[in-house]
Amino acid sequence: MGLTPARIDPSDGWRRRVLVVTTLVMAGFAVLVGQLWYLQTLEGGRLQEMSDRNRIRIRPVTAPRGILFDRNGLPLVDNRPAFTLSLIPRELDDAETVLARVSVLLKIPLSELQDVLDKAPRDSIRPQRVRRGLSLEDVTKLEERRLELPGVVVEVEPQRVYPTSTFAAHLLGYVREVSDEQMKHGRYRRGDMIGQSGLERLLDEHLRGRDGGERIEVDAFGRQMKVMRREEPDPGAQVITTVDRRIQEAAERAMAGHAGAVVVLDPRDGDVLAMTSSPAFSLDSFTGNLDREEWLRLVQDPKTPLMNRALASQYAPGSVFKVVVAAAGLQEGSLTPMDRAYCNGEFHMGGWTFKDWKTGGHGHVDLRSAVIHSCNIFFYQAGLKVGPEAITRYARAFGLGAPTGVDLGGEKPGLIPVVSPARGRSGRGWQAGDTVNISIGQGRLLVTPLQVARMMAAVANGGILWKPRLVQRVERADDTIAYASSSKMAGHVELSPAVWAFLRHALAGVVNDGGTGAAARLPGIRVAGKTGTAQSVAKSDSAKGQDHAWFASFAPADDPQAVVVVFVERGGKGGQVAAPIARQIYQALFLDKVAMVSLGESDR
Amino acid sequence: MMPRVDRRLLLNVDWWLLAAAGCIIAFSMLSLWSLAPGRGGSALAWRQLSWVGLGLIAMLVVVSVDYRQLVRAAPAWYVLGVALLLSVFLLGRTVSGARRWIHLGPVTVQPSELFKLVFVLTLAWALTAWRTPSPSRGAVLGTLALMGVPFLLVVRQPDLGTALVLVPVAAAILVGIGVRARVLGIVGLVGVSALPLAWFVLKPYQRDRLLVYLDPVRDPLGTAYNVIQAKIAIGSGQFFGKGPSGATQSRLAFLPERHTDFIFAVFAEMWGFIGCLVLIAAYGLLVLRGFEIAASAREPRGRILALGVTTVFATQILVNLGMVTGLLPVVGIPLPLMSYGGSSMVVSLMGLGLLLSIRMRQFH
Repeated sequence: MGLTPARIDPSDGWRRRVLVVTTLVMAGFAVLVGQLWYLQTLEGGRLQEMSDRNRIRIRPVTAPRGILFDRNGLPLVDNRPAFTLSLIPRELDDAETVLARVSVLLKIPLSELQDVLDKAPRDSIRPQRVRRGLSLEDVTKLEERRLELPGVVVEVEPQRVYPTSTFAAHLLGYVREVSDEQMKHGRYRRGDMIGQSGLERLLDEHLRGRDGGERIEVDAFGRQMKVMRREEPDPGAQVITTVDRRIQEAAERAMAGHAGAVVVLDPRDGDVLAMTSSPAFSLDSFTGNLDREEWLRLVQDPKTPLMNRALASQYAPGSVFKVVVAAAGLQEGSLTPMDRAYCNGEFHMGGWTFKDWKTGGHGHVDLRSAVIHSCNIFFYQAGLKVGPEAITRYARAFGLGAPTGVDLGGEKPGLIPVVSPARGRSGRGWQAGDTVNISIGQGRLLVTPLQVARMMAAVANGGILWKPRLVQRVERADDTIAYASSSKMAGHVELSPAVWAFLRHALAGVVNDGGTGAAARLPGIRVAGKTGTAQSVAKSDSAKGQDHAWFASFAPADDPQAVVVVFVERGGKGGQVAAPIARQIYQALFLDKVAMVSLGESDR
Repeated sequence: MMPRVDRRLLLNVDWWLLAAAGCIIAFSMLSLWSLAPGRGGSALAWRQLSWVGLGLIAMLVVVSVDYRQLVRAAPAWYVLGVALLLSVFLLGRTVSGARRWIHLGPVTVQPSELFKLVFVLTLAWALTAWRTPSPSRGAVLGTLALMGVPFLLVVRQPDLGTALVLVPVAAAILVGIGVRARVLGIVGLVGVSALPLAWFVLKPYQRDRLLVYLDPVRDPLGTAYNVIQAKIAIGSGQFFGKGPSGATQSRLAFLPERHTDFIFAVFAEMWGFIGCLVLIAAYGLLVLRGFEIAASAREPRGRILALGVTTVFATQILVNLGMVTGLLPVVGIPLPLMSYGGSSMVVSLMGLGLLLSIRMRQFH
């Protein structure tokens, strides 16, 4: 028997009729073979692509952001894995339904999801980030409904984590998703986290590293089956700063509850050991999803927590400026340590009365005691003797009124006025009253705490004006150095050794010989400093402290190793408010020395 | 009924038919095994192999009995078959909205599968018992009546696929016994015009399937998902196939019901157009042998029986492949000898047994 039905028997219709049925069935088979030919050869390529699209997913592997270390190798920030909700546009066949489900499940506004999708190409297979820092609970909810949510994925990405949420906030700066505006200028991918302020911004290029990626095969439930190809990310470079984490922490602890800034410098090389500004903002709030309201709240907060007061806020230096007046007078010969004056608490000039801060005055004072007790009356007269040109010249020499060039953005220059005899018909020329005002650090003088710190460092080290250094070096993951900086001198203040010695001696007296800075006195370590109480420009009538409190200091007085400048906004008197804060910081700085001496002694 | 060991019987074993069936069963095992080698897939394959064993025993029993005795007992089969169909409503287990199975100890049995053979036996009995000299209106009406009761029962189970198989089987037998084309045409027209009525009998999910067939983008994640994924699987196999390890559609579970109704897509993805040609050739051989047995049978009961059984095979093959390749709506028909499932495998092997039996006894 062959494969074909035998010949038809004409006498019997049966065989013929079976053949009819057979033919119909065979025609069906032929159609099937045709359809298979169509699907497997003509359409095969396209369907192969669809099959790949089913199973292949591209998963970006975010490069871990570089870590910032303090000078002793302690981390200032770290990374931890965090969950990110993303959408893959090409796999969202029924976007409307899926987005609605996600919206309900995680309580994310539908518009937020839709926005993300609208910004990405429709057929993109790259996951588009919607929300970072998903809670484990939310991740579980999504995993449970994985099948109903094609195109919705949860990625694991390294995310910044901070020792405490506000630690060194202004120094480190915050990291936030790249904005639409920034997208236009840089080579960023949407959703990249980039440094937006502080060192994170300055060193973003180094810290960011290069993202890698994976081609993975997934099954129908989105489970990863295998990694087909992986391109390793280049981790961001590590940054070794000059900051001392312990000192930074001490400074922040000491400033708690105050508004203002602290700068701690090493006068020997210009390294910034600590820099804090308060109130600080929470760095954590930027890592996840900062919503609009919270952002606006931060920006519009009258306490301006986002501003780094150490270098972006300008204030009158107050009596701290007397150091400049004394230095100028002594060096120019218009003042001598032997000059004396009688202070009765008032000074009259041209119908104006200038008052001392101390009612009744200080009595008989010489230059040193005028510094120690911050006698205004003495300095009014001294200022007139030295003259405004010399005062402003020396102020500039000490680096006041000009940016320090520190490795942080947003620095303000401050202001040292130009002494001009006459300024046209309408303009008011320089008057003696102006000289009187700047002699005690008031008037049209503006400085930043960082400038004051640099000035004090120059006093401490005998005239070297450093460019404050924040970054020692940047090390790539392969141990090569991407950037390194050594200490740089920005200038030199030329004073005779005798003048330097006098200034240091007088400043040591401020703290140790019953001066205005006595509150900074520490057993075991000789602190030298100058207090300042600056009238704030805006005269608010609030009862409590409308004056800014300054304390600019260094220690040990005879071998300066650290400069501490404390500024408290509307804090009150420098000696009462700022000096004790500095004292706490010195305790941390010279822990061993202070501890040794205070053994058996009661700490006050 | 002890088998009569007759030398003539053994001489007429249709080896081509057996070879084709063996070939297809081997492909089935291969596909089930490849779905998840060493894990779930092998368990499926072993279980299916035990069904094949049971089916072969059933086939031997069928072969050993003279089919004419089976036809003679057809009224009993018919009553038993209808009773089984009814029992599904009482004892049946509901699986994805359909009551098709009844429990018999550890196994579940799908009576509608068995009824396909019962139906053919009944027609063979009815159309010969009345000894109508020539095909008449009575034959047509009788056939329709015999089909009607189980048809409605099966549709209501609901098992649209099985019910639909009965129609072409009845049609083929009516053509075979020589009912005139004009009469068949009228019956067909009446049937087609009754289709809108059938709409109301259908369950919502069945209506969905029909609508999706007409417009696949209606529901890309529901029923159409099956069809789309099956098309992707088949198409991506291309000319030479991806082999068992490369068959990502099947292995990664993108393909639903991949071991039952959609098993052909698995096979097509793994072995490509070439493999499909071989498999279809095997089915073609099986069907051609079946029709040849029908054509060369000399005895009316054998003729009708062979034609009916072969048409059952042909219909299931064509409808299943048509549905998997996207030519026909998804109606839930297994691919004989390929799809995983005990009832289908045993009944298919029993059907083959009937064909062998008719062939062996054609000279009686």
